[in-house]
Amino acid sequence: MTASIPDAIATAIRTVLHDTGRSAREVESSMLLATDLGLDSLDLAQTIVLLERSLGVDPFRAPNGARPAIRTVGDLISVYTEAVASAATKS
Amino acid sequence: MTTLDLSRVHAEASAPHRLAVALREIARRSPGETAIVVAAGGPDRRRIDYASLAAMVDRFEEAVTAARPVGVVVRARKVESLVAIAAACGAAGVPVALLADDARDLAGELRDWTVVDDSLTVPASGLSRPSGYDEGPPHVVVATSGTSGPPKLVQRTWDAVLAAARLAEQWHGLGWLLVYDATRWAGIQVWAQSLLTGGRLVVPALRDPDTVARAIVDEQAAILPATPTLLRRLLASADRSLLSRAKLARITLGGEAADGPLLEQAKAAFPGARISHVYATTELGEVFRVTDGRPGFPAQWLGREMPGGIRLSTRRDGELLVQLSRDSADVATGDLVELRGDRYEFSGRRSDVIVVGGAKVLPRRVEDLLRSVSGIADARVYGQPSAITSELVAAEIVLVDPLPEGQTPESIRAAALVACRGSLEPHGVPRILDIVSRIKTTSAGKTSRRPVATTTP
Repeated sequence: MTASIPDAIATAIRTVLHDTGRSAREVESSMLLATDLGLDSLDLAQTIVLLERSLGVDPFRAPNGARPAIRTVGDLISVYTEAVASAATKS
Repeated sequence: MTTLDLSRVHAEASAPHRLAVALREIARRSPGETAIVVAAGGPDRRRIDYASLAAMVDRFEEAVTAARPVGVVVRARKVESLVAIAAACGAAGVPVALLADDARDLAGELRDWTVVDDSLTVPASGLSRPSGYDEGPPHVVVATSGTSGPPKLVQRTWDAVLAAARLAEQWHGLGWLLVYDATRWAGIQVWAQSLLTGGRLVVPALRDPDTVARAIVDEQAAILPATPTLLRRLLASADRSLLSRAKLARITLGGEAADGPLLEQAKAAFPGARISHVYATTELGEVFRVTDGRPGFPAQWLGREMPGGIRLSTRRDGELLVQLSRDSADVATGDLVELRGDRYEFSGRRSDVIVVGGAKVLPRRVEDLLRSVSGIADARVYGQPSAITSELVAAEIVLVDPLPEGQTPESIRAAALVACRGSLEPHGVPRILDIVSRIKTTSAGKTSRRPVATTTP
């Protein structure tokens, strides 16, 4: 069964923090990715690969080259919710 | 079979005829001698003697001479069929293409050629050569290994195919292990060498470490030509008691760079074996051979004319250039070398470089570091595509079995990440680190640099 999208995102972010030697912490949807969680572009790229594995989609590799703007955990949840729904419609 | 007979064959038969003539000569003198052991180390092992193999060559040469196809594309599954077709085509003056599975799509470029399978019959549908048709000496078409891109077809003369074969008496009648695909340049070199010199070609039933080790021991193979990836897997995973009974006299590494720790492990596991490292490409053939058991090659080789008229040099970025003769142009090899003490050592292939946010990472350096971590037997590093940073460094590790005391897979993974953070720039540290049961290899037996396929939940 597919994990819920907010859970999958929280798990991916905690894995990134763990793998890079930072302490684990709660992940909330209002948190700013860069300021509150300290995620840089490499961390974000890792999060996206981990989410592609758990959710089966990569909304940042859109065929038209459009890249959604994301600042908060909540933005990530919205982008992935839309991408998962869109993938489900296509299949 | 006497030495004199084979020496005469090698000296008198022209290159395209040489294989067929040698097989017939050996079959005449020692008909029951084993030419090929197929499915070695497995329950379905069988042997083919020189008389049977020579008879297959005779049969196919007759068929192909009568049909006169423009060329023959070999689509045989059995090694003995492939050898017989190639030898007979050489003798009959018909070009032959040996294509590995991943190069089959390229057969379209040879659409006028006739496809021949294990039945060794020449279908009537193929185009025949018009009378007076001549496209030069019969040749062999092979596909490049596709290490750094899609495979492409390369045309080689029989002289080039057989140039590296060592024909002196000391090489006669030995057991050669074939772990390469028989259609690849490296594989062709092994079976041609073995069969030209009355040897026993040992083809393992599978490429897994235990089957390969059993094939070496059961068939008393003396010579193991392999990629460093295949040797590393054999040393890490094969049954120790089997390996200790191997009587290897030589290990010839090629296709990838051999690192120092691997050479040391091989020396310890096979103390009686001479270990050499061949630098060759499908396009250039064999360029040089390093036999001192150390990684890379002596620094003084650069810029000096070597035996055979070859000259080595480097580009400013460290890419190795090869000049085959004084009047030929430099050929860019795509291999990067760097000076370490009195040696030039291979640091990776230019096309393997992973670009992370504009910064370059050489996968080999990361792999060497991962393999130095306690509990890790092998590692593979590749570029994971990323819309944010272009690529990310991703790695797979194989753990030793049994695990070192007190360690768990998770503790080894964590230690690997700590080691990487301590020695590499931030962009070089693997962001994806998976524990796998075996390293993915290409059909040429090299460590694959391609990302894993994304799994959908």
